[in-house]
Amino acid sequence: MKLSPKKLTWQIVLYAVLIVLAVIYIYPFLVQVATSFKTDEEAASSGISLIPEVWSFAAYERLFARSDFPSWFVNSAIVTVFVTIGRVFFNSLAGYALARLRFRGRGVVFAALVAVMSVPTVVLLIPKFLVINQLGMFNSYAGMILPLLVDAAGVFIMKNFFESIPESVEEQARIDGAGTFRIFWSVVLPMATPALVTIVILSFQGSWNELSHFIVSTNDPALTTLTKGVASLASGQLSQGTQYPLKLAAALIMTIPVAVMFFVFQRRIMNSTEGAVKE
Amino acid sequence: MAQRSTPRRGGASGLRRGEAAAGWLFTAPVIAILGVFLLVPVLMALWVSMSDWAGRGSPLSGSVSFVGGENYSAVLADGGLATKDFGTALRNNAWYVLLVVPLQTALALFLAVLVNRAMLRGRGFFRTAYYFPSVTSSVAITVLWLFLFSASGAVNDVLSWFGINGPNWFNDPRGILQLLLGAFGVESGPGALTQSGALGISWWDWLAGPSVAMSAFILMAVFTTSGTFMLIFLAGLQNLGGDVDEAAMMDGANGWQRFWRITLPQLRPTLFTVLTLGLIGCWQVFDQIYTGTRGAPSKTTLTPAYLSYQTAFTNQEWGQGAAIAFILFLIIVVFTLLQRWVLRDKPVSRRRIRAYEVVGEGKSS
Amino acid sequence: MTRHTTRAVLGTGAVLLASTLVLAGCGSGFAGGDDAAPDAEGLTSSDDALTVLIGSSGDAETEAVQAAVDAWSKESGTDVSLQVASDLGQELSQGFAAGEPADLFYLSTDQIAGFASNGSLQAYGDQLSNKDDFYPSLVENFTIDDTFYCAPKDFSTLALVINTQMWTDAGLTDADLPKSWDDLAAVAKTLTTADHVGLAFGAEYQRVGTFMAQAGGGLVSDGAAIADDDANIEALTYVKSHLEDGTFAFAKDVGAGWGGEALGKGAAAMVIEGNWITGAMSNDYSSVGYTVAELPEGPGGKGTLQFTNCWGMAADSPNQQAALELVEYLTGADSQLAFSTAFGPMPSIQSAADAWTTDNPDLAPFLAGAEYAQFPPNQDGATDVIADFNAQLETLKSGDPAAILGSVQINLEAIVE
Repeated sequence: MKLSPKKLTWQIVLYAVLIVLAVIYIYPFLVQVATSFKTDEEAASSGISLIPEVWSFAAYERLFARSDFPSWFVNSAIVTVFVTIGRVFFNSLAGYALARLRFRGRGVVFAALVAVMSVPTVVLLIPKFLVINQLGMFNSYAGMILPLLVDAAGVFIMKNFFESIPESVEEQARIDGAGTFRIFWSVVLPMATPALVTIVILSFQGSWNELSHFIVSTNDPALTTLTKGVASLASGQLSQGTQYPLKLAAALIMTIPVAVMFFVFQRRIMNSTEGAVKE
Repeated sequence: MAQRSTPRRGGASGLRRGEAAAGWLFTAPVIAILGVFLLVPVLMALWVSMSDWAGRGSPLSGSVSFVGGENYSAVLADGGLATKDFGTALRNNAWYVLLVVPLQTALALFLAVLVNRAMLRGRGFFRTAYYFPSVTSSVAITVLWLFLFSASGAVNDVLSWFGINGPNWFNDPRGILQLLLGAFGVESGPGALTQSGALGISWWDWLAGPSVAMSAFILMAVFTTSGTFMLIFLAGLQNLGGDVDEAAMMDGANGWQRFWRITLPQLRPTLFTVLTLGLIGCWQVFDQIYTGTRGAPSKTTLTPAYLSYQTAFTNQEWGQGAAIAFILFLIIVVFTLLQRWVLRDKPVSRRRIRAYEVVGEGKSS
Repeated sequence: MTRHTTRAVLGTGAVLLASTLVLAGCGSGFAGGDDAAPDAEGLTSSDDALTVLIGSSGDAETEAVQAAVDAWSKESGTDVSLQVASDLGQELSQGFAAGEPADLFYLSTDQIAGFASNGSLQAYGDQLSNKDDFYPSLVENFTIDDTFYCAPKDFSTLALVINTQMWTDAGLTDADLPKSWDDLAAVAKTLTTADHVGLAFGAEYQRVGTFMAQAGGGLVSDGAAIADDDANIEALTYVKSHLEDGTFAFAKDVGAGWGGEALGKGAAAMVIEGNWITGAMSNDYSSVGYTVAELPEGPGGKGTLQFTNCWGMAADSPNQQAALELVEYLTGADSQLAFSTAFGPMPSIQSAADAWTTDNPDLAPFLAGAEYAQFPPNQDGATDVIADFNAQLETLKSGDPAAILGSVQINLEAIVE
């Protein structure tokens, strides 16, 4: 079917707009990669070029050999792994209980969850610090991991998913004599893989990119995570000057794990927002 | 032959034995952690905001006394430095919200409509490109933005192609509205606006608009969040049936009219979600300010969230910091309710009803 | 809807009850406060390692301090770990609130009042073996309510630092070193080219205040706030006029984070900076040659600012005895002269003055400034007032000096009793 000239013009305009916008969205990251390989002087003078005149690995060398960057990476990794595992486990447990198990007070717990979700995080900055202190968890991995171990939104996602599974499978298992936990663990949970993957992606992203919680729960340099470390770099910690290649290299490496996760699970991430709209 | 047993209430005996215990056990971790780290902190902060705890020892100890609304009045009414700082932070964040929420919603909707077209090649590529910035952490993006918007950075290079001499973005404290008015020769405000004010800031300064530095942050916010909201709009668009649209097309409505009269009203719930999320997010700007400018230049990138943190953690005024956090909580709640009211399903006006009745009469003869 | 609301309330209540019980059971995080503190003479002592928290001006300072604490550690057998703060004030506050502060830390004159008032500091000044050796003016800055809290670790003044190459390229000689404000304006004009500005400095009271001092003004004098004095207005008007004609500039406007970076990158021919610039120049910009000269006289005579920090000791430190010994080591003549060589400040003890002058003849103008230098105000709350003043100074180019100083006066009066 041939397109009329008018329609063809519109098609061209459409693609042109899309491409220009895509360039605007992608170019900053390309510049970031290129600049991390430039020298300080070149980065400051020729901001926009994509190919360095002189390839320099000084930024990466400084990051990996002469700074605490590796320990920041390790700390972020530790926290993210524990938080992701914890959230997968606890969110699915609670989601299943709210969806399927009948117990008095279930409605109350659910309503409390909704209430909790409405508190904005900024209000919790100071008080979380106070509570972490009171419990003696300041400057410890426990203080960094425990508060993030559960999130109300994740419980909702799991609850919604479990409600969509037909009850007949569980009934069958119950008749066969399985206990509640057995039903959950061996029958229902394996069927929940799509929702679990969503939880994994969201918790990984959430804990890897978290900043304010780490600010309030630690001030020990040995416990600094990537977010806190790169933020202190941005305010000029490793030197007094504006060393762009160094800062951009740090930000780049910090983005790589989330970016990899994004590209691998693209389709799932794009589709998971459908659930959000139904709320 | 499997029996379909009807669910029994209360889980007393038989197959559903032990269900109540299991239920509580399963939800116990969630209750414990959310309770300890979300609910109790709110109460503790409420207490600190009404006490004179100075930063040493436990806030629950006997030496800390109740001072009522003293911290709140220091921040809202006294007129001293604390009030001025809060007024400045509020002004900065209000302009930020005013500009970011409409811009990001409009851009996200625009992208979603473009990407949703039936015959689009490379749709996956475009969706990925627009969504990628939302995946990165705000710290990483702020670092990148500080580089791009530096005095000799990429943005100013591009502006120079068009002959514009770009400002030293993150170091420029001038309000853009005042700059605009200055271009028309209005250098300083009329007496009525400069003499009086609220919260220690003159009305002229309230209306100064976001500073150039804050504008760079506004652009950054639109860049990073438009992707997420684009996905939400896409999901909403894909849920719409095509029949109403087709009917309108048959009635002779063009693309523009179809969008405004048919598509957009049906997207109302999605729009509501996006606006709510946008409002709540924008009033809590913290990470970007902490990483980037920390309130500079000239306190024009100070936000209430960052001010609350700074007042408590740097100046050791924990009571005032907690008070600011609660006032911010109130603001967010008010805005969310306001927005819900504005977007409610309004009853059809009488004029419209009469118009339909006339048409109806005309047709059914 | 009512049923849901009731449930929400019930739910919240139940959770609250449970968590409060949990908290009450584990309430142990906060230290100090109610417990009986060791009495004034008694310092705590233990085998714990010491942590030292500093706000470094750059690699030069960090390495110098690291070398010094390592040397002491080897001698005394107590481990010391050095931490560099990215935001010293915040990290100190958070550490005190959590009951886990560093044992020793840099403490500036504007921070000491706040921390002393809530009991975070251990006053150990009177127990120093070398306490009579410190300059009295420095000791005064760290004495609150007649208690000498902490040992001054060094002091610095501000002077004019000139790029020697740019100076000679412009055809200027030693005779042209500016002695008055008019001289300064003329020299800055000669030195301003398309590539670099004549004079650059940070947009803060800690630099612009030198002009205020030269005009015969300042912020606080004899216990009274004098911010809106005519002398200060004259000073700010002078600075503003030259910001406008392009011969002066703020460091950030020429793409530098501070004066030292502006000088090192060749963005400015002259800068107003303190002793610490020596370390940064030799570490990061070793190819740039520079000369130090005294700041010019203003209508009120010579004037500059001086800054000092002390070694603060935490009241919650478990090993204050060892910390005291470390402080005595770090404020000894040898350590201070070594710090001087590394990053430039002047020793806080009078006995080292001659050795310093012999070692650092080029830096004599810094020491000369000590005769007539002013200290920034150190009342409780001064930090915020100065921060607000700095915020307004950033708009000096288009602002009104009288209005800016007027608002500073109001804020100052609130904190100066």
